[in-house]
Amino acid sequence: MVVVCGHSLSCFPSPSEVCGLSMIRFERVSKRYPGGVQALSDVSFHLESGEMAFLTGHSGAGKSTLLRLIALLDRASRGQVFLQGRNLANIPRRKLPLLRRSVGVIFQDHKLLSDKTVFDNVALPLLIAGWRYQEISKRVRAALDQVDLLRKERVMPVSLSGGEQQRVGIARAIVSNPPVLLADEPTGNLDPDLSADLMTLFCRLNELGTTVLIASHDIALIQRLQRRVLVLEQGKILNQEAAGSLG
Amino acid sequence: MATVERKSQGSLNLGLRAWGTRHVYSFFSSIGTLLRSPLGTLMTVAVLGIAMALPLGLWVALKNLQQVNPAAEDISTISVFLNAGAKQAKVDKLAAEINAWPEVESLKALSPEEALADFRKNSGFAAAVDALADNPLPWVFELKLQAVDIKLESHNETVAQQIERLLIRLESFPEIDFAQYDLQWLERLQAIMGLGATISRILAILFGFAVIFVVGNTIRLDIQNRREEIEVMSLVGATEAFIRRPFLYTGFWYGLLGGLVALTLVSLSLALIGGPLERLLLSYQSDFQLLLPGINGSLLVLVGGGLLGLFGGALAVRRHLNNLNPG
Repeated sequence: MVVVCGHSLSCFPSPSEVCGLSMIRFERVSKRYPGGVQALSDVSFHLESGEMAFLTGHSGAGKSTLLRLIALLDRASRGQVFLQGRNLANIPRRKLPLLRRSVGVIFQDHKLLSDKTVFDNVALPLLIAGWRYQEISKRVRAALDQVDLLRKERVMPVSLSGGEQQRVGIARAIVSNPPVLLADEPTGNLDPDLSADLMTLFCRLNELGTTVLIASHDIALIQRLQRRVLVLEQGKILNQEAAGSLG
Repeated sequence: MATVERKSQGSLNLGLRAWGTRHVYSFFSSIGTLLRSPLGTLMTVAVLGIAMALPLGLWVALKNLQQVNPAAEDISTISVFLNAGAKQAKVDKLAAEINAWPEVESLKALSPEEALADFRKNSGFAAAVDALADNPLPWVFELKLQAVDIKLESHNETVAQQIERLLIRLESFPEIDFAQYDLQWLERLQAIMGLGATISRILAILFGFAVIFVVGNTIRLDIQNRREEIEVMSLVGATEAFIRRPFLYTGFWYGLLGGLVALTLVSLSLALIGGPLERLLLSYQSDFQLLLPGINGSLLVLVGGGLLGLFGGALAVRRHLNNLNPG
């Protein structure tokens, strides 16, 4: 398979040896919100294709803002953000939704639709992309199987536990096989056992080639996993620790 | 080369299918919205239906009135009423004189007795007529005019003037009380109906705006209630068009259902007043038939309502679904 990096939106997790480019790259990025809040200032880093890293820092340090910039939910005020080698500043507004499909995002508050079943929630990205129903059904089941929720496909999200709802969110994020997976405090409301399970799941997805960036302040968990850690403080990257040397 | 062509055709098919899938989604999603709050939907649709029923009802009423358009030659007569108590000999002489005028094709003289008998038979006031001591009716001449091209459409100035002159000439006879051109009342009726048509058009425009605003406001509330869903859809890569489409469909359904309610209301009202009205009109004229909106009219109301709803939805969507993507 020849994948010309950055030119195929449905780019299957591209092995870094093919792409050679970084998956996510920030070059001196600043973000100031209307009202004068400086959420990020002069942030530079990059994540290679197939890498898994953590983003940590106090609440309000700019973790969510950084993820929002990658997920194309916000634009940088200054500097440049590259996703799969594309400069996001040059993407016209109406193309943003298409590009957004190449980034799976997992939110702390799950953001599930309460009036739709688990199956329909997970199917949403595929419906939006216009997949055929048989294909949708196959892929949704595969994604639910990955998060071990296949039995609950007909259930409404409200009747699930917090951990289960989080996993539905993950299934929705991975159902279209995006090359990049972002998670904002995914273990925020979970007990340690569930958190560990969740991290194992992220590692498995990463082993399959997905680039994963997880914002978390669960230092203990991060340390165990021995991955690169980006530390944000007051909108600046403090240091990019090597695996496991935090603390 | 061939491979490239096949490939591009394949991607076209894929694109079409994706387009179809998305529209099917919007279709069902919009119906789901309506069914999720049946009471609210019902009330909105009822309001729309009543708004549309007003101009529609007036229009249908006018259409029915237009039937009251008897063949022009039947009434292109002049009725000449003589003074009461005119003597038979004088009447005969006058009739002969007028009958000799070149404008007059034929003259039919109706004696007071004949007129009374006629009235007694046709009016349904037999008992009242019997109660009369004297015959209050005068002699009447019915003049059929000679080959003047009197049709309502080609009723130009000169014909009207000719008739006016004739009426004045007739009334100059001392024995004649007054002369009346029967087409006049029809002209007046038509003028009134023309006014009615204008009013129905103005109402249609006003209530058309009402439909747009009612649907627009309903969709606006719907958008506000579904902020969360819209946000999530946007997060997972929905284009603005994809997010807008169900709301546009919903607007269309509102308008269409409103049109259906309007048609039902108007048809029901017609059915209710139809029986008595028909009996009333039949006593004047034998060929009256109650007209319903008809297939073309119904289609116009349904499609027109749907389009107005769509437009209302589009307004709301334009106003309230604009900032899904950052600059």
